[in-house]
Amino acid sequence: MLALLVSGITGLFAFQANFRQYPNEEDNPAPVPPDAFERTEWAYARLRYPSGKYASYSQDKGSWPTDYPKADRQFVAGVRRLTRLSTRSTEQVIELDTEEIFNWPWTYAVEVGHWQLTDKQCKMLREYFQRGGFLMVDDFHGTYEWEVFMASMGRIFPDRPVVEIEDDDPIFHVLYEIPARQNRLQVPGLQYLYSGRIYEKDGKIPHWRAIYDDEHRIMVAMTFNQDHGDAFEHADNPQYEMKYTSQAYRTGINYIIYAMTH
Amino acid sequence: MFEFLFKYSPSAFSKGRFVFLTPWPIWLLALLAIAAAAALYFHVRSRHGLLKGMRPIVIWLFETAMVALLLLLLWHPALSIATLRPQQNVVTVLVDHSRSMGITENGSTRLAKAQEIWKDKLAEPLNTRFQVRMYQFGKTLDRIENIDQIKADSPATRIGDTLTQIASESSTLPIGAVVLMSDGAENSGGLDADTIARIRQARIPVHTIGFGREFLSSDIEIMDVAVPSRALAGSRLNAQVTFRQVGYNGQKTRITITDSGKVVASQDVVLKTDSTAQTENVVFNAGEAGPRALQIKIEPLSGEENLVNNSLSRLVNVSGRKMRILYFEGEPRWEYKFIRRAVEDDKNIELSSMVRTTPNKILYQGFANEPPGFPTTAEELFGYDGLIIGSSEANYFTPGQQQLIRDFADRRGGGVLFLGGRFALSDGGYARSPLAEIMPVRLPANEKSFYRDFSSVVLAPAGKDSAICRLIEGREQNIERWKKMPQIANYQDVGEVKPGAVTLLEVAPAGKRPSPLFVIENFGRGRTGVLATGGTWRWQMQQDVKDMTHETFWQQVLRWLVQETPGQIQASTPRQVLSDESKVHFRAEVRDKTFQPVSSVRVLGHVVGPDGLSETVTFNPQPLEEGVYTADYTAEKPGSYLVEVTNSADTSRDVIMFRREDGIAENFRTTQNKELLQKLSEQTGGTYYTASDAKKLVNEISFSDSGITTHQNLDLWDMPIVLLLAIGLRSSEWLLRRKWGVV
Repeated sequence: MLALLVSGITGLFAFQANFRQYPNEEDNPAPVPPDAFERTEWAYARLRYPSGKYASYSQDKGSWPTDYPKADRQFVAGVRRLTRLSTRSTEQVIELDTEEIFNWPWTYAVEVGHWQLTDKQCKMLREYFQRGGFLMVDDFHGTYEWEVFMASMGRIFPDRPVVEIEDDDPIFHVLYEIPARQNRLQVPGLQYLYSGRIYEKDGKIPHWRAIYDDEHRIMVAMTFNQDHGDAFEHADNPQYEMKYTSQAYRTGINYIIYAMTH
Repeated sequence: MFEFLFKYSPSAFSKGRFVFLTPWPIWLLALLAIAAAAALYFHVRSRHGLLKGMRPIVIWLFETAMVALLLLLLWHPALSIATLRPQQNVVTVLVDHSRSMGITENGSTRLAKAQEIWKDKLAEPLNTRFQVRMYQFGKTLDRIENIDQIKADSPATRIGDTLTQIASESSTLPIGAVVLMSDGAENSGGLDADTIARIRQARIPVHTIGFGREFLSSDIEIMDVAVPSRALAGSRLNAQVTFRQVGYNGQKTRITITDSGKVVASQDVVLKTDSTAQTENVVFNAGEAGPRALQIKIEPLSGEENLVNNSLSRLVNVSGRKMRILYFEGEPRWEYKFIRRAVEDDKNIELSSMVRTTPNKILYQGFANEPPGFPTTAEELFGYDGLIIGSSEANYFTPGQQQLIRDFADRRGGGVLFLGGRFALSDGGYARSPLAEIMPVRLPANEKSFYRDFSSVVLAPAGKDSAICRLIEGREQNIERWKKMPQIANYQDVGEVKPGAVTLLEVAPAGKRPSPLFVIENFGRGRTGVLATGGTWRWQMQQDVKDMTHETFWQQVLRWLVQETPGQIQASTPRQVLSDESKVHFRAEVRDKTFQPVSSVRVLGHVVGPDGLSETVTFNPQPLEEGVYTADYTAEKPGSYLVEVTNSADTSRDVIMFRREDGIAENFRTTQNKELLQKLSEQTGGTYYTASDAKKLVNEISFSDSGITTHQNLDLWDMPIVLLLAIGLRSSEWLLRRKWGVV
């Protein structure tokens, strides 16, 4: 009885955030699957960060939910089908003002050309990366957005350079063989269907950049001047070309497998 | 008292045979007794008709008993016993002259007391009836002429060896009895069954006279220290220190382990019950590669009578060898990544891992050449020292691979660790696979046993003293540290723990009873374990980056997995520290690359000893044990020895370390070992005497089946007990008659 009582008390501390919806902030709503609350090894952990002039979430939804949640749910369907990874059908939104991020060693942030992290958030993210966390940042374009991105990232890692990922880095080979840089596609946002340009702003050249730790393991992977989120979101759009979706899925899955093995 | 009533000693009765000396048959005695009983019955009935109830019966019984006693005496009862013929037998007197006999008690040494008893009480009566041969024994046995020439200066007591030599002399000498005067402080490992059997075969009674106090009033003595004989550099090791104390119940002291004078561990202990063995576990770091000569010491307390029995030395061969571990993971998961990270800085662990990323693709990490999958041959798999099976279905492995995994632990002597996971243990079908046999748990039949619930981990009682679970220095500090560990992300039911297995960690999920989480056991030549979770990665992600508990835990688990894994030659010696001994026995198990025993190879031991000594010893194959070779060696000088054992057929080798220390053995067990002396006497037909009743030996030594004997009949009719019985019967009857008014 005492053992049960003790374990019951200790059990009060057993807590992991469950799936939660943000209906007022959804960018592109998608149905909630019946197994939305399933507990799995991995979930698409999307960072809910402060952005633009709205440093708090109270007045505007900000840029964090771009493509959310359709991109997330459509991508994880592919992860489920193509790998042996235990994957939840729904995403997990990570509040950066809590320590929940430490339960999710793989995270994704979109439109980071608008994020404005607080000092506290920068410090927490630095600790997160050093403990073994991984962040994929995506859908930011051109000189200005890069500078905004680096204004926060430079406070997380003032001492670490951002470098181009070499073709032979394991992240391009852990599962899918991602082609060498010259044969790699620039994954565009949906706008290319209307504008005819596969780049946005002055981001003509695609980059696959990263920040490495001391053991030469990637902590932050950046798909700069590209929009994998749109490729996930519009994977069911016949007009959005399959070659982009295919590379985006392969890259995304490689980033997950890499984060779980390195 | 016994001898006053019965005239002879108990040993005479136990050795003798009861006989009647009259030629008349026994049946006549019985017939007369019945006839007398009947006659008395009629007599009592006719004379005492006024008595009622049981009273005439009581009178009749008394009278019948008296007549029966008289009839018994008429038949002349006696003890028939074998006794030594005077002047024709040898009595061997063995006097212990080890250093412990020089301990002074009550104003004189034990040896002086023995000399006094011999001269005052035993010498004359024994010399007049027997030919007395006197020896002094300690480390060796030496003939002496005069007990006064003995000095308590021998560095060891070898009672077993001494008696074996005496037993062999009995084939040429009519040895009637052995008198052993000693404190029983045997320090060659006790008397084994073979030695006792040899002495019994010679039918020589060994009479022992014990000297010395049976208990000291205040002392702490280390009885034994168990440490692994070999370890990987930087490993945490567990020293199991067994000691006993008298006079310090409830007091505190400290166990300290030093390596060449440098303290490597210390631990406070509270002394428990007097004279009872107490065991404490002290965890220490093995340090860098190389031989370690450890000194384990218990701090003396004030008033201790013997200070030199507070420390013992032990050797540990610390290897810098890199151990190879294969980790097979059935699905991508966080545990895989964080285990790899936790051990990547461990210089002694080489982790090669493979993970099934998709149903048909495996990611290989840490391989010089990528293999085509999980090994399919013994040569391939047995090149590793340890194996981790992650979340992978049992039937992913072919029956041949499952047999290989079993043989990996059983035959190769490697370590196999099974992790929890959605495809692991019961959920992975292992309960129905041949691999269930090698697990330290009986897996439940339920195939939904994996739970993704954050749960606390608690140290099981055995885990508190295990080096595997020691995250920080200090036993109590470590117990407190475990209470602060973050919850694990998931766990799995493992069912029952098998007998002989040890539970180190338990999981305490919310609302459930704690259940085994980390269980280990030895299996065959190797070891197996189940760590029923894939969620210890939270220990890394939930704690400060500077916290090293996750890394420490996994490095220690993996070191446990491979530390004892043998090479193709596994060489050993039963005792690494020879206390005042020189003979040492070596044993080597020799195997080929598939770890099958090898019978026809040349096995050599290259001995390097003190003062540059270098010798080669040839190992001989043991006919009844395939692949086992043994050798005996005499370490002539005190000091450290290193033996490199090689197989001429390949490059395999192993190393044995041992140390000869002189002047140590007699510091231990300095009280009289009465138990050993009594056991020796009882087993050989002799008698144990204390120093004060040693004179009785003079009368009893003659009763012996050994030597030249004659049978003697000892009259029993004149025992005082007979007279007392007769008087008792008659007076009791008279008193009753008087009381009942029928006098």
